[in-house]
Amino acid sequence: MGIFADTRGYFAEMWQAWNKFWFQSVDPATLCLIRLLAGTLLFYTHLVWSLDLQAFLGQEGWLPVEYIRRVQGEQWSVWSVFFWIKPGWLLWCVHIIALLVFFCLMIGLFSRTMAVLAFLFAVSYAHRVSPGAFFGLDKTNCMLALYLMLGPCGARYSLDSVRRVRKGITTPVAPSTAANLAIRLLQVHLCIIYFFSGLAKYTGENWHAGTAVWWALANQEYQSIDMTWLANWPLLVALATHATVFWELSYWALVWNRFTRPLVLWMAIFVHAGIALFMGMITFGVAMIIANLAFLTPQTVRRWFDPLAGRVARLLGAGK
Amino acid sequence: MAKFEPSRPEQQPRPTAPPQQPVKKPAPPRPAGEIGWHPVWRWFVSLLIVLHLLAVFCAPWDLSTQAALPPGFIPPTDNLGRQLPPPVGVLQEPIVTRGLRTWFFRHYLNLLYLNHGYEFFAPDPNGSHVIRYQIRDSGGREVAGGQFPDLKAQWPRLLYHRHMMLAAQTGDMGEESGRHYAQHLLAVNGGQSVRMEWIIHKLLPPQDVKNGKKLDAPETYQVLANIQEVAKPKPVPEQPVALPPTEGGR
Repeated sequence: MGIFADTRGYFAEMWQAWNKFWFQSVDPATLCLIRLLAGTLLFYTHLVWSLDLQAFLGQEGWLPVEYIRRVQGEQWSVWSVFFWIKPGWLLWCVHIIALLVFFCLMIGLFSRTMAVLAFLFAVSYAHRVSPGAFFGLDKTNCMLALYLMLGPCGARYSLDSVRRVRKGITTPVAPSTAANLAIRLLQVHLCIIYFFSGLAKYTGENWHAGTAVWWALANQEYQSIDMTWLANWPLLVALATHATVFWELSYWALVWNRFTRPLVLWMAIFVHAGIALFMGMITFGVAMIIANLAFLTPQTVRRWFDPLAGRVARLLGAGK
Repeated sequence: MAKFEPSRPEQQPRPTAPPQQPVKKPAPPRPAGEIGWHPVWRWFVSLLIVLHLLAVFCAPWDLSTQAALPPGFIPPTDNLGRQLPPPVGVLQEPIVTRGLRTWFFRHYLNLLYLNHGYEFFAPDPNGSHVIRYQIRDSGGREVAGGQFPDLKAQWPRLLYHRHMMLAAQTGDMGEESGRHYAQHLLAVNGGQSVRMEWIIHKLLPPQDVKNGKKLDAPETYQVLANIQEVAKPKPVPEQPVALPPTEGGR
């Protein structure tokens, strides 16, 4: 009898914990901050395509659509609006619409609808250049857009919230289960990324030997700041290499504990800011830092950003 | 005796204000920390969460696993001692991860652009690839030349990085991708032929840098492949059929 009661109790407790983890309602401040930053990043990174749009996204260009479709295995599920767009003027029209969508997501105008459209456009661009010109930035862009559309990402720090106040709606922003779900999915997704990134590094001889950071920084095509002075500091290189691998491998475990979380997140900022500053991948570094913000509590986000958001809202004619 | 109730004057309905409908107040927002949604809905969403996260997990899991040879298997060699590929059926495929990624979740991963290994700078950082090209006209004169990626020609940094990926990923795609690059360069710059060199820029060990060697020393560049391509003939627009001149109308 005892064993059944205990087993039932175990599952009941687990279901409670599961519900608390995924379905607890929270203030959507964290999701809204990520919308603001990810929207800005999506807008900028897609704006850059404008400088050589036809070459990268046109029917011909560097890699013709017909060839890319063949390399991708002609699968129906690998989709992009750019596979069907032929005339140059139409390509530009779609590109401008996409930029408007990303811009609206950034400023938080019709946020939820724009988040869905932003995801569809982000995947469209990414599939058109995969393989060919894609890299980690496209994966992170699509991941951020995917989870933004699941929750009320325009409830705060948005034109939507300013419009609500100007219409006289003064009810406070409601806590949201969907916001929690979106943030939780992003958090777990990040854990999976770092875990497998760490595992993949663990199969490399240079990551084992503690020299990989040197090889990464001594790559002239990546380099944006000369770090070759590290040739005189092999111990520093080794420590940075080992710390990177252990941080990635343990991220999924240590980020949930409130005492180790700040250390793990500061390390994330340190690593990704390093990639941005020294290896020229500014957009990718910023994208990963934005994703890591998912681990900030809504209270922290509000404490840091509400004063600034309040000033901006007053400038826009909302609030006292 | 029957009691008669005094007759009551018929009550006229008084003109009264229409009955007030109770004003529906919006439900107060659920306090933070409360569990939301109906249990049935939560069960359903829980199932979707598990499936989604399993899909996200199995993509890098499968991409990080390889088919394995049986323990102790000695690969066959040719007469010169070079290793040959193992006979068919010897390689042990990781059936769970392959099945999940390439069959069960295949289209889901594709649709959401989740089919990735996340192998950032793994297994080891390597040298970068560069493509240098020279375009000539029909008389053999050079009409354009350059390389990609090129920090001077491609700005901002993200555009430069996209060109760097073009040079790097042609290695994975094969020779045909190089031919497409060549045709694109011809289409943009004009000219009759293009010669491209696919180069790896090898990395220098710290000792060489300490000894004063430059990261871009000529010997760090090694040509991996050459591509020579001529411009495709441009499609000639169809000429309208010339009708015989008519001698006036009726």
